[in-house]
Amino acid sequence: MSKEAPLSNAERDFILEALREDVRLDGRNPDQFRPLSVSFGDEYGHVKLQLGKTSLVVRISAEVTKPRDDRPFDGLFQINLELSAMGSPAWENGRSNDLEAYVTHVLDSVVRRSNALDTESLCILKGVSCWSIRADVHVLDYDGNLTDAACIAIMTGLQHFRRPDAVVRDGQVIVYGVEERVPVALNITHKPLSITFNSYNEGKSIILDATRKEEQASEGELVIGINNGGDVCFLSKFSGAPVDPMEMVTKSTVALEKVKEINAQMEKAMQTDLAKRAKVGMADLSRAENDR
Amino acid sequence: MSTPLILLPGDEVPSSHLPSTKSNPLKLGSGVRLLSQPSAKPAASNHILTATQAGILATDAKRNTVSLQSFSNRRYIPTTNDLVIAQVHHSSIDYFHCIVTPHTAQALLGQLSFEGATKKTRPMLKGGDLVYARVSSVGVGAGAEVEITCVNPATGKAEPGGLGPLTGGMVFDISTGFSARLIRASSSSADHGDAIDGLVVLAELGKKLESLGGFEIAVGRNGKVWIDCSAAGENAIKSTIAVGRCLQTTDDKDLNAMDQKKLVASIDKGTDDVSSLRWARNIAVLAPLSIPSPAQYPLENSGNRKLADLRPRSKAGIFPPFWRSLASCSLP
Amino acid sequence: MVGPTASLSNLSRSDGSASYKCPATGYDVLGAVNAPIELPARRDALKPEEATVEVFVKPGNTTAGVGERHVEGILRNVLSKVVLGRERGFPRRGVVITLGIVGGETVDRGDSYLTILPALLHTSLLALLSAAVPLSMTFSATLMGVDKSGAIITDLSAADAKAAASLHVLAFTSKNHLLLNESEGRFDFDTWEQVRERALSICQDMTTPGPDGDVTMGEEADGSRPEGFVRETVEDRLYKDYSWKIDSI
Repeated sequence: MSKEAPLSNAERDFILEALREDVRLDGRNPDQFRPLSVSFGDEYGHVKLQLGKTSLVVRISAEVTKPRDDRPFDGLFQINLELSAMGSPAWENGRSNDLEAYVTHVLDSVVRRSNALDTESLCILKGVSCWSIRADVHVLDYDGNLTDAACIAIMTGLQHFRRPDAVVRDGQVIVYGVEERVPVALNITHKPLSITFNSYNEGKSIILDATRKEEQASEGELVIGINNGGDVCFLSKFSGAPVDPMEMVTKSTVALEKVKEINAQMEKAMQTDLAKRAKVGMADLSRAENDR
Repeated sequence: MSTPLILLPGDEVPSSHLPSTKSNPLKLGSGVRLLSQPSAKPAASNHILTATQAGILATDAKRNTVSLQSFSNRRYIPTTNDLVIAQVHHSSIDYFHCIVTPHTAQALLGQLSFEGATKKTRPMLKGGDLVYARVSSVGVGAGAEVEITCVNPATGKAEPGGLGPLTGGMVFDISTGFSARLIRASSSSADHGDAIDGLVVLAELGKKLESLGGFEIAVGRNGKVWIDCSAAGENAIKSTIAVGRCLQTTDDKDLNAMDQKKLVASIDKGTDDVSSLRWARNIAVLAPLSIPSPAQYPLENSGNRKLADLRPRSKAGIFPPFWRSLASCSLP
Repeated sequence: MVGPTASLSNLSRSDGSASYKCPATGYDVLGAVNAPIELPARRDALKPEEATVEVFVKPGNTTAGVGERHVEGILRNVLSKVVLGRERGFPRRGVVITLGIVGGETVDRGDSYLTILPALLHTSLLALLSAAVPLSMTFSATLMGVDKSGAIITDLSAADAKAAASLHVLAFTSKNHLLLNESEGRFDFDTWEQVRERALSICQDMTTPGPDGDVTMGEEADGSRPEGFVRETVEDRLYKDYSWKIDSI
């Protein structure tokens, strides 16, 4: 059963009727996100993100591998999203569904193909070895707007992640442990995020960050991938009712505002965490010295 | 009751905690089962009961029942005589196939299982329509089908009151534990003003009523609550959302009576114009009288239900218009 | 030793869930249970009179492979024994357990899965309790290692496990039946018997003499041993869920 339970007629009618009055079930404004909170695990690049009742964990990992033959100067980067029955009883373990394919496609376009992570910087030795960076998305609770939540978490994870240092000496690749050398941050070229809009009532009501029920009642979806500089790197009108072209222009302005706001919030949370780590690291160091 | 007794699966229920009345046999609710009965003396005190779930032991000396109260987020399992809000999936010649809980087998609702329904007057329900129904049978053995009904077959009436198609309004999801509490509280507080199960939110919501009409509420044991404020006219949508959010917040945050009062107060910054249309009185008006005897189902999950459980759909007061403020209300 | 940290019902969509963190190995596992639900694709494979237990293990930062399938098989066997699949509402339905390894080292392909097995078992148990799935009894599990000199080590870290000559995971029910025995490496019967006795005493939540002969002190009492901490975790959550009731007494 790969489908969520269908929405009842009463719920659909009510959601649409309420949106005509610009009211949402949780009392939000049409262009307001649910409360967004982020926390970091013990390792670098371990991000837990909560957007309303949607929650997910992203883990970034790195390993040394051989670059592809046709791109000897490039490292590898892949985003892996697998929906399990944890996120929603509607999802079957070990089977992919439409939502998984769709969200993977959007994440791939917004984060990977927009070159948010500079893959050339992942090259260690031309044609011989490079870093392979992997982002795993674990959906813990699904209550709508998976795309935006996953995108925010992946971008935050990439910025938070530190890979081990590696050098080439006499044609040999040496990877230093985290204890030997300070691990290195990834080279992030820009910070694009996806912003999803859902439209209702023949395009008259357009809202941000829809919940699961709101998504089910939606007539169409518009996804804009945009970075802090206002460069649109992805725009998708995947399915559903048509949207007025002018709306796309005005909505990209809204999206830009949101992206700036979210990026600032994530940056702040990350700096707080990194500062805390630095402090703990120093304390450990001094303790180790005292022991001797 | 002193400190609550918490049991894990496999734990024996201490016989000192069992009700001591011997007049009628002990009834087992959910989470406990009879492991063995020593053959030497089949006295009531010789039962060995073990827990099958983790929960708080609850006994009712009057009805001679014992059951375990487990976590509130669990999935609803249909039990005879429970009231549920079901959603029609599709209809066939004889039945409406209804969803009681998502991703489980559909329940059957007879095409004629409505008050006064004949072949010509039966309700024409479409997929996605909602009905308020009673679980009439859960079948026997593996693969048995759950049947629900909107009518009491003995009287031909929609008993308990309010059963039948739910039109308009809105359904909110709540935990199954909370829905059981709501059913107990919404019925019992009609008789006296005390908080039942620490739940005053409904009474508070009712007290805030305005003279425009009332809100209708139907609570399904399957973790759904239906609310309709259509009597409130232009404030219908906002008042429905306010009621729904009050209930969901109380559920999510396990609010105590004090916080529930604060929560309700926070949505109502307007008038305190209490009309003469009392919430409690409305319940009394709507309350049905025929109660199926739980004794017929000694092993069913009817452990904690009270007489009044079977009349939860009731009218209550409505609210003044300042719902938006709920979004910003802060909880302690 | 610091006890494991665990909590119940952290997720909202699934019927029951639990998170569990093992201090020695650093594994952080999140479990979700959906039960009883329909398993549409495999109706023919379902047992006619009982519930079917399904386990899915999702590694933190790799794709699931042979190792995960193997450990899923072990978990399914153990859990099927304690789940009462004939209770009302359960026959012919599925009990779907999803375990995500959200923190800790990655188990590399080909590495032993035994190190993480106790954490996975405990998470499943807690998640099943949280979903109120009927169980005949609870259980607890522990990982033991025997080093090259023949000494038994408990509370192994990942590095200890790599260096050990043999590894054993034993699980005992709350009635002290041996529920699971998975061993690997070279060892003889006497060693195994010693391991069993030691594991039983750990699982029984008894205070055992420490490695240096000292009787362990207060901090090792309740909560640090599997059986004790399961109860404690459950009680914490129940007190929270029923605070409205307990406060008013």
